[in-house]
Amino acid sequence: MFLRLTLSCALLVTGLTGAAGATANAGAAGAAGAAGATDPARNAQAAPGSQPSCSSPYRIDKTLPNGARWRLCWEMRTIEGLTLTDVTYTPKGGETIGVLRSTALAQIHVPYDSGEPRFHDIGTIGDDAIALKAADCPGGERRNQFVCVTTRARGHGYLKSDGEGVSKSVQGTDLVVFAAFQLGWYTYLVEWAFGDDGAITPRIGATGSLSGFTTTPAHGWPVGVGSTKFEESHNHNVFWRLDFDIDGSRGDVVEQYDFTGSGTSKRKLSRTVFDEETKAVNSRMRWWRVVDSGVRNADRHPVSWEINNLASAEYRGPADEAFTRADLYVTDYRACERLASTNPTPGCGKSVDRYVADEDELTDPVVWVNVGFHHVARDEDADPMPTHWQGFRITPRDVTAKNPY
Amino acid sequence: MRRARIMMAFAVAGATAVVGVLSLVPGEQGSQAAQSVARPPSPGDPLTGDEITRAGQIASATWRSHMTTGRAELLYVERDDDKEAGDRRRADAYIYDYRTDRLVVRTVDLAKGEVVEERTGRGVHPPPSRGEETAAAELLLADPEYGERVRAAHLKAGGRPLVSAADLGLRALTFTPRPGDKVAGACETHRCVRLFVRLPDGSWLDTSRIVVDLSAKKILTLEW
Repeated sequence: MFLRLTLSCALLVTGLTGAAGATANAGAAGAAGAAGATDPARNAQAAPGSQPSCSSPYRIDKTLPNGARWRLCWEMRTIEGLTLTDVTYTPKGGETIGVLRSTALAQIHVPYDSGEPRFHDIGTIGDDAIALKAADCPGGERRNQFVCVTTRARGHGYLKSDGEGVSKSVQGTDLVVFAAFQLGWYTYLVEWAFGDDGAITPRIGATGSLSGFTTTPAHGWPVGVGSTKFEESHNHNVFWRLDFDIDGSRGDVVEQYDFTGSGTSKRKLSRTVFDEETKAVNSRMRWWRVVDSGVRNADRHPVSWEINNLASAEYRGPADEAFTRADLYVTDYRACERLASTNPTPGCGKSVDRYVADEDELTDPVVWVNVGFHHVARDEDADPMPTHWQGFRITPRDVTAKNPY
Repeated sequence: MRRARIMMAFAVAGATAVVGVLSLVPGEQGSQAAQSVARPPSPGDPLTGDEITRAGQIASATWRSHMTTGRAELLYVERDDDKEAGDRRRADAYIYDYRTDRLVVRTVDLAKGEVVEERTGRGVHPPPSRGEETAAAELLLADPEYGERVRAAHLKAGGRPLVSAADLGLRALTFTPRPGDKVAGACETHRCVRLFVRLPDGSWLDTSRIVVDLSAKKILTLEW
């Protein structure tokens, strides 16, 4: 059962824009949600123990040109491969705040369109990491051969004209942590980008080679000369596990936002607070956020990170692959729940749809994001196949009280 | 589409595959382990090679006789990252008992030097280890029909005869049968893997219908 709150437009304006006065405070309290309402508000800061717990060469500490700083640890785990832990963000001129306790891939499910084969590509992928050459890590440094830590231009952070022909603008920069894995004929590029605006972009690129599986025209696309060989279409359903610990594990709540109204002039905000383990599907204009109501920015708004997953192909598999039937899951933290399917730990659920089935109360939420990509081969995919990317965005919402630049 | 086993064709995937330098050589775990250093590791550092070795020895102390006879195998050792364990250095050793088809995960507290937790279960299959990849390839090569086909493909791709499984690039994934699978239904509990085989020219054999049952030491050919 969810605690469902529908806010009026008036409350939306006051509560989420932080207008001054008593109404604004009431609104902020409303936006804080039910959980953690009794916590004394804390200013955004790092919780005890949220500093990276690792040392060189596993520690990454990067201050980007605008002054934003990201600190985290990396580990090449045998099963999940590249895993990032103890991720903290320090906005320009602000206090450090813990964001993620850990994040890693949780599955790459690859079903082919004829119905077979169907692969769960997460094997011991840590052992399949590709030793990177200097050219594979442009402008960055390689850690233990397998991990690239670099920065990358992201385009305009903003651009604004004052109307007098003078404009001001800034270029955005990402810290990028990246590794490549050879899983059969595919090469997977696994990366997380940490922006100077506080955003996180997990994504995975598939390159290497097509499988070479041939099929009928109904399930494939002609490759090579003529129309005799049909390469079989397939999905890459990629799952990420994200253990958010905003300022420590205490006080984190996951909310879903919808904006009702279609074919009408008005849109109305609807907020659903997940107080039990659950699953959710994508919807246009829908997004989620992990919010710590006990941590406020300078405008007294609760600090949160927003998750947007609208780029997914939204693959839905057969009944025995029920884990594919939602785009986001929220579970209560359990160390044994590591993969979205073929989970490797005895005494634990086998897949993420089972983790949420008992609807336990959420005290320390873990978010699982499922992003699908349907790959219909084309002539351009001739070897070596150009990279196709899939991922999602995690953006700060009220982490800083003003433009992070 | 039903295909007779004899019809299986080793189609080559991406005949001109070009990929980066691979770490596909079967062998001891440890290429990803923290480099051995004079100072002790920080709590969030990966396990060192020494820690992996020590955790494996502690976890498998009562399993040695089973391991020497091949009835059980230490698959690998992972750092235990349970945040409720705080800063304690702990390691999870994955042991598979093929005789009873049980997975045993033993958590070793490295400071105490002892097993502090054990979980066991049937039908739970973590990813195949390097040793299991080699064992699966040896079973494939021992199969009269498939073995001959692999050798022929290797000779054609590399211009030299195949000596052992070590000549092949290997990758294995856990195989989970679909409901009602008539050929591989035993893989619900048996330890079954799909094997990907890479030839010296960088191409991959189409082994998508082949499943290796490591518990029964059998090759299965899927029907679809």
